[in-house]
Amino acid sequence: MSARPGIAILDYGMGNLRSVYKALEHVGAKPELTADHARVREADAIVLPGVGAMPKAMERVRALALDELLRERVASGVPVIGLCMGMQLLFESTSELGGAEGIGLLRGPVEQLDAPKIPQIGWNEVAWRRSSVLNEGLPDPCAFYHANSFAPRPNDPGDVLGTADYGGEFVSVVERPPVYGLQSHPEKSGPDGLRLLRNFVDAAA
Amino acid sequence: MILLPAVDIRDGKAVRLRQGRFDEETVYADDPLEAARSFVEAGARFLHVVDLDGAREGEPVNLHHVERITHELEVPVELGGGLRSIASIRRALKAGADRVVLGTAAFTDPDLLDEALAAFTARVLVGVDVRDGRVSVSGWTRETQTRGEDAIRLMQGRGVTRFVYTNVDRDGMLEGPDLDEIRRVGEAVRGRFLYSGGIGSLADVQALRDLRLVNLAGVISGKALYEHRFEVAEAQRVLDG
Repeated sequence: MSARPGIAILDYGMGNLRSVYKALEHVGAKPELTADHARVREADAIVLPGVGAMPKAMERVRALALDELLRERVASGVPVIGLCMGMQLLFESTSELGGAEGIGLLRGPVEQLDAPKIPQIGWNEVAWRRSSVLNEGLPDPCAFYHANSFAPRPNDPGDVLGTADYGGEFVSVVERPPVYGLQSHPEKSGPDGLRLLRNFVDAAA
Repeated sequence: MILLPAVDIRDGKAVRLRQGRFDEETVYADDPLEAARSFVEAGARFLHVVDLDGAREGEPVNLHHVERITHELEVPVELGGGLRSIASIRRALKAGADRVVLGTAAFTDPDLLDEALAAFTARVLVGVDVRDGRVSVSGWTRETQTRGEDAIRLMQGRGVTRFVYTNVDRDGMLEGPDLDEIRRVGEAVRGRFLYSGGIGSLADVQALRDLRLVNLAGVISGKALYEHRFEVAEAQRVLDG
């Protein structure tokens, strides 16, 4: 186990990444904000953050060729975790803003939550489908802070690690090693959010 | 329901006012980040931050402190105080606030309210600060003729779904909330609301919990936490019960 796993936080110019950076540092990683392919290739694991609209984010991801880079790193077995909208980017497509393609590391579309009021903004409990490296040491259910209008619908039910309820069940955590995704904001979810990030970092070490 | 510790910032310090009076201030921490950190370490799941200087100035003054708090701590933050333009709201969100609380502007600038709701939807809350039964604005320096529940209905007509209701007369007094008042607010609010004002003991927290109001989403507490009348975790346990 290397002392402090290097984690590349993909910086494609959307959103404030400082709190993700601080949280990763807090759990013993050596994070770096970068979109530089050479730097990302040196990382032990990759975090794909995201806020805002997925089609816009996807444009930037593609402009920086981060989609191809992610496919390459995942093929080499490097752990990748998508956070919030970053998790949606991992899927094949979205219906947001008239529709767009995603990176397609996980199969299935991203669709709007079927709830009377969106976005959901607040704490919501995630129930686990099974135990995994990601939820080790976490309670079941476990509350995470969510802020989203959309959520993925994985084609393979086996990719679903955790679900929550907002006007119906939605997928909040996905796992298809080495690809992971969280619809919530672990960096804003207190000690349990940090624990999950630590689990991810430990898996990368 | 969640407990939201309040971090009110004035002159770069974490303070509490009595009944919203700027001349009755107690300083609890020289650095608001340290106050916020102690609440988070005690188990807070959300912070309610107020830029008191901003409330008086009419624009945010302490955003750099807000930014330090949102960057350093792993919980969401809502911010109120001086948010009276779209530019200010954008700056607040950019500083890392998850939600903004509009007070004065919601009552005096309908266009801004419409624009904010359209642009930021559920991230916008409206603060209804009531003093002597009437809505108070401009950093509690000006009273309107509007009653609290009427203000809530008025705002709902404009599309507001989330409120922060504060009884300013009780704020900082530690003498407990008026449960009948909160029941009435609960009847008026069709969305969700947070209550603030006068929480002085764990029994007060329990009483709010026992109201079993489905739309009461949380309770804001300041002075009682700073003075260790009860701790964040035990109050949260009561609210979870």
